[in-house]
Amino acid sequence: MSLRISQVGLRGVVGTGMTAAHVLDFASAFGTFLAVPGPVVVARDPRASGVMIREGVVAALLACGRDVEDAGVAPTPVVQHSIRRLGAAGGVSIGASHNASEWNALKFLGAEGSYLSTAEASELLDIYHLKKFDFVEWNRIGKLRPCANAIEAYIDELATHFDFDALRGYRVVADCCNGTSSLILRRLRERFGFDAILINEKLMGVQFAHSPSTTRAMVELQLAPLIRPLKADAGFLFDVDSDRVALATEEGEAVSEELVLPILADYLLPRGAGKLVITNLSTTALLEEIASRHGGKVVRVPVGRQAAIDALSSYRPEQIAVAGEGTGAVMMPQFRFVYDGIASMLAILSMMRERGQRLSEIVHGYPRYSILKGQEPLVSQRIPALLMKLRERYHTGKANVEDGLRVDWPGLWFHVRVSQTEPAVRIICEQRGEPPRELFDALLEQVRSFA
Amino acid sequence: MPREHLLKIGVSGIRGVVGEFLTPALACAFAQAFGTYVRAGRVVVGRDTRSSGEMLQHAVNCGLLAAGCDVVDVGILPTPTIQIYVGATRASGGLALTASHNPPEYNALKMFNAQGLFFNNYERSELLDLYHQSSFRQATNPEIRSVSQDFARPPEIHLRRVLEHVDAGRIRRSRFHVALDAVNGAGAVMTPGFLTEALGCRLDAISIDPTQPFPREAEPRPDTLGDLAGLVRRTGAQVGFAHDPDGDRLAVVDENGCVLDNDDVLALAVDAALRRLPGDVVVNLTTSAVIDDIAAQHGRKVHRTPVGEANVVEMMQAVHAVIGGEGSNGGIIFPAVHLCRDSYTGMAFLLDRMSETGKTVSQLAGALPRYYRKLGKAGYEHGKLGALMQALEESFPGAETDRSDGLKLMFPGAWIHVRSSNTEPILRLAAEARSESQMEELYGKVLRLLEG
Repeated sequence: MSLRISQVGLRGVVGTGMTAAHVLDFASAFGTFLAVPGPVVVARDPRASGVMIREGVVAALLACGRDVEDAGVAPTPVVQHSIRRLGAAGGVSIGASHNASEWNALKFLGAEGSYLSTAEASELLDIYHLKKFDFVEWNRIGKLRPCANAIEAYIDELATHFDFDALRGYRVVADCCNGTSSLILRRLRERFGFDAILINEKLMGVQFAHSPSTTRAMVELQLAPLIRPLKADAGFLFDVDSDRVALATEEGEAVSEELVLPILADYLLPRGAGKLVITNLSTTALLEEIASRHGGKVVRVPVGRQAAIDALSSYRPEQIAVAGEGTGAVMMPQFRFVYDGIASMLAILSMMRERGQRLSEIVHGYPRYSILKGQEPLVSQRIPALLMKLRERYHTGKANVEDGLRVDWPGLWFHVRVSQTEPAVRIICEQRGEPPRELFDALLEQVRSFA
Repeated sequence: MPREHLLKIGVSGIRGVVGEFLTPALACAFAQAFGTYVRAGRVVVGRDTRSSGEMLQHAVNCGLLAAGCDVVDVGILPTPTIQIYVGATRASGGLALTASHNPPEYNALKMFNAQGLFFNNYERSELLDLYHQSSFRQATNPEIRSVSQDFARPPEIHLRRVLEHVDAGRIRRSRFHVALDAVNGAGAVMTPGFLTEALGCRLDAISIDPTQPFPREAEPRPDTLGDLAGLVRRTGAQVGFAHDPDGDRLAVVDENGCVLDNDDVLALAVDAALRRLPGDVVVNLTTSAVIDDIAAQHGRKVHRTPVGEANVVEMMQAVHAVIGGEGSNGGIIFPAVHLCRDSYTGMAFLLDRMSETGKTVSQLAGALPRYYRKLGKAGYEHGKLGALMQALEESFPGAETDRSDGLKLMFPGAWIHVRSSNTEPILRLAAEARSESQMEELYGKVLRLLEG
């Protein structure tokens, strides 16, 4: 499917799925949806289609009477920071983050830079479908102005949370995947002497050096082999809009993307009052083990950003230590719950310094969990029967049916759920210790028998 | 009550009241149809100073980029300057965001082909079909180009061409004292420099801030140019020039502060052009017979067309005319510069004739054959137009008739023209005669017929 319009917003392959008309209508709906006064911050990632989409978004917002603060090419966390700094009504981040270059998407952000709640997102979607937009009269049309120092102001805020003097001793290699993280990292180097060696740092519109997904496989591709020759202390891989990160240790070992959240939970749980870790049903059970070490608790919600956001809003911010997914997307309370790959990197380096540990020591200090992930095509019609059958077959475990089916045994669990982006089911299986190959293969076989 | 046309999508493109009617989505879709029609390549986009211009330009950019075009943003410029730049830089086409003389709540898209000319009727209807079919080219990520800017070159190219056709040195030596009212429109960015730096005039100008709204009604007419007339009288300027918001039309105020009839301004330009170059003249049916008299003085022929710049331009191409235009709306078209309405040629010609003859504007205009004209409009009911025209023709037996655009009835030394407007649901009336009484008699007779 090359176009998806949902509560997450608008996402598609530009030209074949997502067109200028979709962009105009969706951005007009957002301009109509915004209730509070103030400008709207707009930025994009380097995809070529982002130039076209930006023009449409700007036109629609101006037509709705909103002044537009144009942050140019900038990471999503910078847009969110600019919204707070300027007291803006909201923002639009144009970019398809970890998707391939032919994709693009609109991410809508509310006041304070927050993601839209499910209720807000449904309202936006209703306005989009109704196509009744509140365009203002000719003399109240908004003005476009450059939001020139968005990145510098964001870095100023980073500097209040992280001790760059102390972090200067670390050398990192960063794989920017031709995305926006290079804009931040280069300035950290210039302003604080932050020792970052960048690869794939050039902003590219069409061809990324490799798939921009923050997975162990991508870390292994170019980043991990460079760590030892460059005598670096860690390697970080960013997706195109810099909200996700993946890791390599100083030994050049690519770390599972599942570990980013547990590492940060381990760092943040003992530091603050917040004792909750919010994550989804598909993320590693290592989290429970780490949380219990620090007297914390894991709250699991269905997969997808929307469920995480709704869960966040049902707690007081100070109750929460960290939230995120097994994809390398992590939100921290001090960054007001914004997925931020750069802040995640700085937090991990701070943890290394405070504990006096190398990254490999931290990573290998955790018990080993092995996760297997797979995907099988399946027509939607057959899904309920499949889930019913699996539930009967694996009745010995503890079942959770909030999002497909998750079954837990001590030290072993699986999760079979329906993909939100493709007509397929995803199968995730994890075991403390060795990979749960037998269970995984059995699950795959049963899913295939339903196809 | 005539129905108001708050949005019009037709062969002339898109025109409407911005906001509820002319939406960014419409502008974007039309631009994408245009980009598809010109088969991508470089497309030039410029605009006048309307407050909706910036918003619509982004919408148009979006549509063009989505069709795979390279967008060249030339910013705020007069329409002729944009057209000349399109032709001179061999672009695939151009778009100007301007509703010309319409009130500020309106905006519109004007479309130009690779030569920088308005689309002809066939091109327009093809584009319109494409728009209605929504069969747009949808560029994918690697096919999407970008937006570049060129603010400096378009005025240079335009003004250099204009200055080739006058004795700029002589004009500069005359040190004319000129007044200007640019209606805070696109002319505000170019005309002051043209008059002072290129032509050495001393300038007293009003309404030359493109960031401000139009301070007067946008169409330059005797009843809207009071401020300019006052400025001329107060400063003792030798001539006053006025623009419409997109700087293609010209109105002239003489040294006494009297606004010249637009047909006379065109007549002076025709005279200036025919003194320099041999060839025919093309004007629309509503333009004064003074043009015929001037052409006859030079032994040249006048061709008449239906009202509308595109019609005049098409005929000018066909007969290789030296000059043409439309009297009532202040349009002067001089193909040696470009086949478009160009107020800069009009200003240069008039200053050139002043410096050549040493005469004042009122003297030059006073030397023209004298006609009395009256223009007006009236509402009408749909379906009644044919009968109305028939009745009109029958009540003037013996008149020579032209039915190519409404009905024009011609008598010795006088004429009447009645036609339905292209842009509004009204009838436009015009009458001209050698004497004021004859003109009033003809005009009154038409009005009575329409009301009866």
